[in-house]
Amino acid sequence: MEENPNPVYKDKAYGQYRELSYSYGDAGQFEKTVGFHGEADRVILQQAWDLFKERIEDARQRVLSGKVSPVVFYMEKNLLDPLNLSMMAGISVWRVKWHFKPGVFKRLSEKTLKKYADAFNITIEQLKKIE
Amino acid sequence: MVKLEFEHRQAGHCESGVTRNLLNYHHFSISEPMAFGIGAGLFFSYLPFLKMQHAPTTSFRVWPGQVFDRATKELGVKTAIHTFRNPKDSMDKLNEVLEQGYPVGLQVGTFHLPFFPPEYRMHYNMHNMIVYGHDNGNYFISDTLMENLVEINYEDLMRVRYAKGAFAPQGRMYYPTHVPTGIDIKPAIIKGIRKTANNMVGIPFPLVGAKGIRYLAGRMRKWEKKLGPAKASYYLGQVLRMEEEVGTAGAGFRFIYGAFLEEASTVLNRPWLKELSIEMGENANKWREFSYLGSRNCKKRGKPDQSYDFLADILLEVADREEKIFKKLATIK
Repeated sequence: MEENPNPVYKDKAYGQYRELSYSYGDAGQFEKTVGFHGEADRVILQQAWDLFKERIEDARQRVLSGKVSPVVFYMEKNLLDPLNLSMMAGISVWRVKWHFKPGVFKRLSEKTLKKYADAFNITIEQLKKIE
Repeated sequence: MVKLEFEHRQAGHCESGVTRNLLNYHHFSISEPMAFGIGAGLFFSYLPFLKMQHAPTTSFRVWPGQVFDRATKELGVKTAIHTFRNPKDSMDKLNEVLEQGYPVGLQVGTFHLPFFPPEYRMHYNMHNMIVYGHDNGNYFISDTLMENLVEINYEDLMRVRYAKGAFAPQGRMYYPTHVPTGIDIKPAIIKGIRKTANNMVGIPFPLVGAKGIRYLAGRMRKWEKKLGPAKASYYLGQVLRMEEEVGTAGAGFRFIYGAFLEEASTVLNRPWLKELSIEMGENANKWREFSYLGSRNCKKRGKPDQSYDFLADILLEVADREEKIFKKLATIK
């Protein structure tokens, strides 16, 4: 048994660790191999993260221009959608979407704000403005 | 302070790897494909109405938790499974069970898992790992996805065990309590194969099994027209991520299932299973080809490299192959 402390991922590039995969060779045998990601795997992972980054940036712009409330930004930052956010915060999907309006968001009670803050793991002050 | 003598082995799929490693600790050794096959883990479903990470959900496996439940049930292993409402209770129970000398399997969410590769830290609550000891608020983890053993502290572990959202784990923990000696795995293999065959060709519903693959192919032809090239390539990418990404051991579990059929043919001494395992291997290579060609479409956001019709044709071929294989497997007695 090999002792190893938690591995550190310094580089943001994908495919820093080796995973086990099975394959079927020409010899008619199933094989186990341990190796890094192939090019195809990297492309599809990169695609997902590109979309997430794009959505976060888009949400930031819309919040700064006052079109939507900061809830949208934090939702995108935590890679959530309204359905998942409603499950995490314990607020119905309809109300979550309603709170996307900046005017509605300003009038929210402390109690509701606390629910969002807990779901995003931040304080209420942080929730009210974005970085 | 408890630290059990636990043999860590990397695995392709988290849950069958966990099942295998837990049973191995209790001196009953089976291979990972065997655990996967007996637990009837293979499946296909395409759920366009359920969006996950902004695209329709495609799944190549059964409901989380079923592989362990089914495999242990068919093998006659006694297990204990707990979920908790209060996070503190769940951690106390975990410590108690570890002190009794049982390693414990946990269902966790991956978003806050500190040792996990960053590229996989999305909201996915169906990951499984094993705790085999603790020391002063530090827990020793054997995660079958990782090459080496890792550690996690009390707060982080509590948070990942109580991740919220779809399929919330609610502190689910499970472990074998009694493994009988002299288990006969032959009837368990046959039952596992029949269950999988029924899942793939026996359910009269268009979105699951071999029918589900055809349905996906039909939808795929319309993507480019309906959604535009950028979104179509993202939808395709989502299918490929579910097929090839973390914890599928390649080609949406088809390789691992082929390895299971190969092993089953020697255990049961039935040569026709060996033939089917070869067909399964070729089928899995076809899936691999699909993901390889498909990933080129994901790279360019403008004009796709391969037409979606071409990719859909591969899917239809795969669906025909799988239908043939599982119809044959359904006749096993």
